[in-house]
Amino acid sequence: MDNLATTIAIQLFNGLVVGMLYALIGIGLTLILGLLDIPNFAHGALYALGAYLLLQLVGLTGSFWPGLLLAPVVVFIVSSMLERFMIRPLYPVGSNYVLLFTFAVSVIVQELIIILWGPVGFSILPPQLLAGSVDLGFFSYPRYHLFVMIVSLAVVLGLWLMLERTRYGAIMRAGIENKTMVSALGIDIYRLFTVGFGLGAGLAALAGVLIAPIRGLTPYMGADILPFAFVVVALGGLGNIVGAIAAGLIIGVTQSLTTQFWPQGSTITIFGVMAIILLTRPQGLFGAR
Amino acid sequence: MLGIWPFTGAFADVGPVLDRGMSLALEEWGYKVIGRPIKYVKRDSETKADTATRRVEEAIETEGVKYVIGPWSSGVALAVSEVAKRRKVLHFFSGGTEDISGKRCHRYSFQWAAHAYTAADTVIKTFLRENPGAKRWYLLIADYAFGWSLEKYLKLVGEKYGVTVLGADRHPLGEREFSGYVSKAVSARPDVVAMVNFGQDAIQAVRTFYNFGWQPKQPLLMTWSAGVEELIQLEPEMRENVWVGTNFYYTLDTPVAKEFVRRYREKYGEPPGYALAAAYGMTRLVLRGIEKAKSAEVADVIQALEGWEGEDLLGKMRIDPKTHQTLRPYFFLRCKKKSDMKDQWDFADIIGTGDTPQPAELNECADIGSL
Amino acid sequence: MAKLRQRVAAFIPWAVLVILILVLPDLTRPTVATEVWVFAILALAFNLLLGYTGLLSFGQATFFGTGAYTAGLLLIHQRVHPLVALAAAALAGGLVAAVIGYLCIRRIGLYFIMLTFAFNLMAYFVVYQASSITGGVDGLPGVSRPPVDLYVFSWDIRSGIAYYLFVSLIFLISALTLKKVVDSPFGLVLQAIRENEARAVALGYNTAAFKRVVFIISGAFSGLAGALYGMLFGIVPIDTIYWVTSGNIVFMTLIGGTSSFFGPVAGTIFFIWLAETVSVRWERWPLIVGLVFVFVIFFFRGGFVEVWRRAYGLLVRLSQRGQPQYGHSKD
Repeated sequence: MDNLATTIAIQLFNGLVVGMLYALIGIGLTLILGLLDIPNFAHGALYALGAYLLLQLVGLTGSFWPGLLLAPVVVFIVSSMLERFMIRPLYPVGSNYVLLFTFAVSVIVQELIIILWGPVGFSILPPQLLAGSVDLGFFSYPRYHLFVMIVSLAVVLGLWLMLERTRYGAIMRAGIENKTMVSALGIDIYRLFTVGFGLGAGLAALAGVLIAPIRGLTPYMGADILPFAFVVVALGGLGNIVGAIAAGLIIGVTQSLTTQFWPQGSTITIFGVMAIILLTRPQGLFGAR
Repeated sequence: MLGIWPFTGAFADVGPVLDRGMSLALEEWGYKVIGRPIKYVKRDSETKADTATRRVEEAIETEGVKYVIGPWSSGVALAVSEVAKRRKVLHFFSGGTEDISGKRCHRYSFQWAAHAYTAADTVIKTFLRENPGAKRWYLLIADYAFGWSLEKYLKLVGEKYGVTVLGADRHPLGEREFSGYVSKAVSARPDVVAMVNFGQDAIQAVRTFYNFGWQPKQPLLMTWSAGVEELIQLEPEMRENVWVGTNFYYTLDTPVAKEFVRRYREKYGEPPGYALAAAYGMTRLVLRGIEKAKSAEVADVIQALEGWEGEDLLGKMRIDPKTHQTLRPYFFLRCKKKSDMKDQWDFADIIGTGDTPQPAELNECADIGSL
Repeated sequence: MAKLRQRVAAFIPWAVLVILILVLPDLTRPTVATEVWVFAILALAFNLLLGYTGLLSFGQATFFGTGAYTAGLLLIHQRVHPLVALAAAALAGGLVAAVIGYLCIRRIGLYFIMLTFAFNLMAYFVVYQASSITGGVDGLPGVSRPPVDLYVFSWDIRSGIAYYLFVSLIFLISALTLKKVVDSPFGLVLQAIRENEARAVALGYNTAAFKRVVFIISGAFSGLAGALYGMLFGIVPIDTIYWVTSGNIVFMTLIGGTSSFFGPVAGTIFFIWLAETVSVRWERWPLIVGLVFVFVIFFFRGGFVEVWRRAYGLLVRLSQRGQPQYGHSKD
């Protein structure tokens, strides 16, 4: 196979890996945005928290797998509690305050991470099982990257199924569409918010866990990823889950390919796209409003 | 005396190390010089230009600091250098940017590290000596002052030795996601990939190259490395066929170095790397300067340091009065295979040194100015 | 009698400000004190949007940074007169605000916030990439402070105290100007928009136009502050345009209190004091800011101003003298 084609194929794969992670984070953020009507500025911090919890569990157990399973769950629980006890009281005051609260949380969590784990970044190695690369015929590709792709895909599919096929999922989708109606139907909308927030946070944490062996951890990883999360959400449409998935992949692949041909331009392109979308088509590429 | 070190930010891991280095030197002098006590003030630069500027100003204003050693990041250093000029305090820095002894030179700032030209020359010359056919190079550069200087000279000096640079990509400081860059470099099929980055960036990059199968089949060059401090964070498998250019390596055979390495190992159990040596070395030079001047006035010490020549940590060293660049050797190492390592610290051997100074016509320091 | 009282009451905050200006350099270092007034201008400019018009712009750093880089480049390459640099910075800030404002004002609420945020991100990355002009992540060092030539005399502002006086003067002028703006009919319309935009529209006001204009004013003063900041440290760091700085501006303003004209100044003093003094002892000072902010959100939504008002009201009640003044007037 020709060299350029191989390179592009590799970059495509890279793009898909990053894209799936963006999708995971994006789904979480757009879910929270759709349900609670607030941009969750703490989303990056929760993603970082997931990664750091993984670090802690790896340190305690010597293995990657407990972290993979537990970290997102812990973040889910903690975030749900946060929503229930600290965000919920703020709803009557105004969404601006909720927004600002999440921003404060992002700062607090980042500082706590530095206090608990130090300012120096960490590296985590992929688990033994997934180390090294796989020969895909035309090129070698790191095994762990493939693992991430598959797991993210599985989670996203699982989520989609939950939303489309289960009753609870339907309620959630309804909650995004029309809160008053859902409330009128007698469903506890506030509990929905709590679960939704927790779920969104858990997804972010999962993304953090998955990406940790690839990118390493730093206390600033949350602040670093937040802009990209917002781009995904804007592109996909605020509150649009499927949109977030597609947008995540598009952004990931775009970023990868521009790194190949125009490295300096990759981030600008992405934010330029975001601004254009927000201005011309606020429902995103996939929304219908 | 102020040590402005990064304790947070992209170079957070280097801060404590630099702190130790400076403390060690001060300890050796008994925290006294020419009969006067030395107060060691530490501040966190956060690897940010504005924070460092603020902290240095604050230290000068509240603690009466007259000598500033650090920071670590080249970009931050340029900002600190401005403060030094404005506040007329002595500033000693070790880093890859050529501007401190070049475009932005002034009477108050000194450069300890080898000039980027010297580094590039040593690296390319020695590597080609060991790998004569490896003429097609690909570069991966950290996108800030330090990276730019070295990139420029790698290309310039490379031309002299017949090296073709197939491509040079820049990545942001603090980048974590190297998959894209690695894929791109690998696919250009160079004979060797040379990186100009540091600390966590370098480690992450080396790791990604390994994950994509580059080394040990193909050589990877870390042109400006911390040596021990970085190598220790990599697995032996990842270090195979990695070549390292550095300002200091602990197997260096000079009396001062040997003593320094011995004392450090006794105290901390591990050998020192470039960052430690730099902090230690710079502090030593400042102290020796004060001694030579027999005065603690900044102006006198500066004049004592200009044209200073002597044997110190790195062997023969000299400070060029026109540019305030320290002329000293640069070292090139080859990392060992796991099976060749005698102990866990035996990462590499020094296989070459070079001390070709930057040719005068290339230097951009037009006028070092007055005091 | 009441009118005299009102006049005195209106004069008091200004007197307090002047006193603060005079004592601050003694309480803390001149550099820190200068920084306080620089950010005070920024906070007042921002509060024009948030407190008076009800616009939560999450991208104030865009204008701050634009002004800083504009002035910085002029001062490094051309060594222009400082007032020229300030004017250029204000112009640049205002221009950028005009463009961004025009684009963002079309949307409201959530979309507006996200748009301002998006533009801030874009501005940051543009500055980051254009490193040959802006110095990229390392910022622009070498910003000079040429003397202020005013025909009759030349004021050398290189010393810490001299520059402090210069900045405080600019602050007072800015504050007076902004106060005039909010007290004018224009300002009243802004407040009407904040209270109930639909109603303002129904009354025949072109609210979009008003919002665009206040955006420009806010942007211009933010740019001005940016220039002053660059000259303070002799460097324009990339942080001036970073979105976290926008967040800090929001923190400062809200902690101080958005319902009062002078509230943001209190928040600024608190924030800068933390940033400069506590930071040396404990690097994790942002944690304190975050916690205080949360506290403010939950208990003292009006910020320090509310704390002050409540305390004052309490004192009055305790002393049981005269009538409690729970005024709704703006200070």
